[in-house]
Amino acid sequence: MKIKTRIFGEIEIEKDKLICFENGIIGFPDLKKFALIHDEEKENAFILWLQSMEEPDLALPVIDPLNVMDSYEPDVSEELFSVLGDLVKENTYILVTITVPQNVEDMAVNLKAPIVINTGNNKAVQVIVENDLPIKYKIYDIIKEKAGE
Amino acid sequence: MLALTRKKGESLVINNNIEITILEIRGDQIKIGISAPKDVPIYRKEVYDQIQEENQIALQADNMKALKDLL
Repeated sequence: MKIKTRIFGEIEIEKDKLICFENGIIGFPDLKKFALIHDEEKENAFILWLQSMEEPDLALPVIDPLNVMDSYEPDVSEELFSVLGDLVKENTYILVTITVPQNVEDMAVNLKAPIVINTGNNKAVQVIVENDLPIKYKIYDIIKEKAGE
Repeated sequence: MLALTRKKGESLVINNNIEITILEIRGDQIKIGISAPKDVPIYRKEVYDQIQEENQIALQADNMKALKDLL
């Protein structure tokens, strides 16, 4: 299907790229349907986008946290994943959101509230982890280095 | 907002499966016990608010040109 977006213009979304957050994302319970897309102009597309299907203006830049740190071990009560159906390790895809403020050097990822996707059924949930992880973990230097590779 | 007055040891029941009990009152601090199904997320509001704000900033993606230029 085709949707009009603010950031990417009109884009074609394949059905298997649709991700459903049954409870929305934190603070935005009505944002339930997103499409996971990447910028096709870029070869090293380690930054992905969750484009809202309901609000064309809104898109969340996201990244696999292992791209910006060696290990990421969020401590989450397993029951919070019950909305994802049967979740097995091979189908677990973790992403964290990226914020890019006016000063780009302050760009950061939110390690405190990861998004967990069950790639088996494309259901997703955003949870707040129990361990003391930063809400703003600066990644400018890491991204710059990666982009130069 | 519904406002109910409770004493120490008294409880509220929400939706048949959530029980909130006033455990202890000491000065301006109140200890609250919550019994809820484990799949019900319970967060401290100030942390929840911070995550909401962070999601809001991320969703606006206002400075994406800078990010694209960087990549």
